[in-house]
Amino acid sequence: MSVLQTPATHERRPARFVAFALVAVLALGGLTTRLFAMQLAAAPAPAQAPAVVLPVAEAGRQIVTEPVPSTRGLIYDRSKHLLVENVPTFTVSVRPADLPLSQQPEVIGRLAGLLDLAATTITETLDGAIGSRFDPVAIAHDVPEQTARLISEDSLTLPGVEVTVEARRDYLDGPLFTQLIGWTGPIDAASYASLKRQGYLPDDRIGKAGVESTYESALRGAYGVREVEKDGTGRTLRVLSTTTPPQAGDSLVLTIDAKEQRLAQQALDWGLKKAGVRRGAIVVMNPQTGEVLAMVSEPTYDANLFSRGITTAAFQKLLADKDLPLMNHAIGDIQPPGSTYKLVTGSGVLADRKLGLTETVLSKPYVQLGSTLFWEWNRAGWGPLDIKDGFAHSSDTFFYQLSERLGIARLAFWARQYGFGSTTGIDLPAEAGGLVPSDPWKLDTFGQTIFPGEVLQAGIGQGYDLATPLQVANAYAAMANGGTLYQPQVVREIVSPDGAVIRPFTPKVVRKIAAPSWVFTTMREAARRVVTSRHTYNLVDLPIVVAGKTGTAEFGLRDKNGVLPYHNWFAGFTPKKAWTKDNPTGDVSKPDSQLAFAVFIYNAGTLGNTATEVAKYYLQLHYGITKDYRLPQLVVRSNFYEGGR
Amino acid sequence: MGVLRVERDAPTGLAARVGGVAWRDFDVQLFVYAVLLATLGLTMAYSNTAAQLAGEASQGGTTFVRGVVWAVVALVAFAAAMAFDYTWLKAFSWPIYVMNLALLVASLALGSSDAVSARWVSIFGLQFQFSEIAKILMIVVLARYLADRDRRLDSLAAIVGACLVVIPPWVLVLLQPDLGTSLVFIAVLVGMLFMAGASLRWLGALAVATLAALPLVWTYVLHDYQKERLTSFLDPAKDPLGAGFQLLTAQKAVSSGGLLGAGLTNGAQSQSNLLPVQATDFVFAVLAEELGFIGCVVVFLLFAALLWRILTIAWRSRDPFGLMFGAGVASMILFQIVVNVGMVLGMMPITGIPLPFITHGGASLVSIAIGLGILQSIAMRQQRAEW
Repeated sequence: MSVLQTPATHERRPARFVAFALVAVLALGGLTTRLFAMQLAAAPAPAQAPAVVLPVAEAGRQIVTEPVPSTRGLIYDRSKHLLVENVPTFTVSVRPADLPLSQQPEVIGRLAGLLDLAATTITETLDGAIGSRFDPVAIAHDVPEQTARLISEDSLTLPGVEVTVEARRDYLDGPLFTQLIGWTGPIDAASYASLKRQGYLPDDRIGKAGVESTYESALRGAYGVREVEKDGTGRTLRVLSTTTPPQAGDSLVLTIDAKEQRLAQQALDWGLKKAGVRRGAIVVMNPQTGEVLAMVSEPTYDANLFSRGITTAAFQKLLADKDLPLMNHAIGDIQPPGSTYKLVTGSGVLADRKLGLTETVLSKPYVQLGSTLFWEWNRAGWGPLDIKDGFAHSSDTFFYQLSERLGIARLAFWARQYGFGSTTGIDLPAEAGGLVPSDPWKLDTFGQTIFPGEVLQAGIGQGYDLATPLQVANAYAAMANGGTLYQPQVVREIVSPDGAVIRPFTPKVVRKIAAPSWVFTTMREAARRVVTSRHTYNLVDLPIVVAGKTGTAEFGLRDKNGVLPYHNWFAGFTPKKAWTKDNPTGDVSKPDSQLAFAVFIYNAGTLGNTATEVAKYYLQLHYGITKDYRLPQLVVRSNFYEGGR
Repeated sequence: MGVLRVERDAPTGLAARVGGVAWRDFDVQLFVYAVLLATLGLTMAYSNTAAQLAGEASQGGTTFVRGVVWAVVALVAFAAAMAFDYTWLKAFSWPIYVMNLALLVASLALGSSDAVSARWVSIFGLQFQFSEIAKILMIVVLARYLADRDRRLDSLAAIVGACLVVIPPWVLVLLQPDLGTSLVFIAVLVGMLFMAGASLRWLGALAVATLAALPLVWTYVLHDYQKERLTSFLDPAKDPLGAGFQLLTAQKAVSSGGLLGAGLTNGAQSQSNLLPVQATDFVFAVLAEELGFIGCVVVFLLFAALLWRILTIAWRSRDPFGLMFGAGVASMILFQIVVNVGMVLGMMPITGIPLPFITHGGASLVSIAIGLGILQSIAMRQQRAEW
């Protein structure tokens, strides 16, 4: 080497060596102290037993920390009738880590035979599992007790196979409440990834539709944790300790009245059958609170199909149905609201003082705009009309002229005031917001502003206007209560397992509509005149004071005669004094209504107005009227707008 | 043990003269302690292999077989490092530094993407973590840097300079991302500066500055999974099936060990293979369960003895490089013990820092073997002036 070392050319600092050694001694001493506390000083009871005492024959036993599922909350209607139950069922699952690869084909083959499943199905389920190898994968739910017993007794030849008792949701009145309550199903990979931290397990179930989904966190409760000792085949030998006890979920009390729901469904089903169609919805609300008393969507399906594990074929059939049974049509179906929308135009033009209370406007056979003719629906008109008569006759030319006076911006403003164009905020998933056309919207979408003709269309609920039955019902409820737009709710209370009300019902006001109260009084009286003028002749004979508005909304593509198909609407309310014997003048001037509703029939194709007949039948059932006022036959006709009269 | 025989047969004999070194200065104790610790590591690898064989088929040879292969590689690396005259390291330290950076960049680029990070590089079928080797190379470079500035270490400039030397490889390691190794870098830097006699005032100021920067690191540098691991030790029971699972299971394993332990391959927790990464980061839990309190204390005593030997060699070194290098290796080993064992015992956050010798991981063992080899080289090359 080139460099010879001269002794101690550098500074050595003894103090620093001593300090370093001291740090090392202290650190190792600290670790030893902690080890002493953990291994010797701590009570060795639970730890020592499995580690030392058990004989060699018990080899393979293990202590497993496993979750203890909580009991999911129940769901009641507003008068505390139980709508959902938890029923214990047997589930067979496989813990891949405990199933040796060499034995896998044999074990799966035996399971396939016992469970009457294809071996490939089991393999696919195992391969598709989203958790780790230590998480059990459910391969069969709802296993008959006999089979479950056979499998659990045979655990020696079926390593890694477990039989557990699981609660299944039983929806007591299946199809009637499906769209409201929804159902629970296996958690998917995406939800699991985001919910893992909240204690969800890979084979967990989660609310997937209805309030089961929106109130998932309240219903679920909290899973507990316990330590169990298992033998080599995965069979639980004993529970060592429950580290955290599970907390049962909270229950829901719906605003829905099961009786009203049943009556509404009865009325809707009858009307749909008469009209020969399948798709429609009815919403019944309390206008004073925003509570939804009934909400029926047809066609529907049985939630139990999903809670019991739906077959692929059955699910494909539901998906392929062109009448969309999986959709809650009351909140998800956005369609042109037709003449029911004239409530918006009428209220707006009065509140903006573009039309006097008694001012008349001439209704005509058509309104001409450039070279285009916008026709009255009866192609004749009624001469001069004031707002109430214009609404009562549902005069299109009358409302075309009002729309021109308002302009698209104010029309959109009043539509939004009534809650159109955005979701109502109801506590159900998959609500659609509809559409209120405006210049900014059209510029954004089509790159041009609204044409004058489109303003006319927008004023009568056609053209770009789109709304859900719930939005229409809620708008009429706001008119009925004197101008307060409530957020509709389907869950009244959240109740803890011990019966205490955790979240009581509070009405949620979205806004006070920015119009003076006489506007709403006028529109209520106009709606009453729809019935008394016999524009709709269906309701006038009822011993009930009904006010409301029909709607006939064109949609879709012209048929071979150049005629558009159309939907039927009827939206309205009854005053607090609903019986004509208590209210002989048919007074609707007070904002005291307890019942507002909207009926929507998709592609109705009847002139008798199926929706009005459904509303009539529902009111008949609701008020317990024994005499049957239903029309014997709905008149099936094509579109009176364009098909000629 | 052929080396020992040489010493006994011919204390000042041919071999010594041929090698140009004093074989009698070969630190037998250091070697023996290291071999004993490595043997314990292999024993744990054997136990873990038993657990794995009971559970599932393993790939690429068993943990134990791979452990033996790595032990042989480590022995060769030790011998090579010992034979090499360490004074050359000083001359080569800047090329070593460049090579170190190149290796880290390469492992960033080539690293397998099976885990979240790119720290593993596969060589001949053996997984290799370059950041482990980077630790030793870093110590060599730092020792050279500090040795060059001997007696001038009171200045802030020297301290800042040392930090600047460490920062590039440190950032590369952090990018992998290998939080554990990056922490070891910091510990080594601090340990070496301290032992080199750097001004305590400036060291203190640096510590305060680092503490002040922690919130920034927390917000902008750390990944979510790293934060989760760092905080879960505070309350593992909060999420017993998620992030706290490792910790709870590890602590259960440790507690069930008792005084004498369950015996090798008999741990209830360990043998059911419940501990994630039980062959690597959490191997101490297996050791504690199967060998008990006594086994753990023996391990600690071996580590203490090893550290004592390293510090002795550093003290005896006549040139500052030897002292600095010894200080670096000692800091590295001590820090890794404290953080790894502390993690298993629930006193420290979870960071992927291996337990020297015991953790099954080739690169870690080879890296320490090189370090000890250089230390032997230092020990044996102090007396040359007498000949």
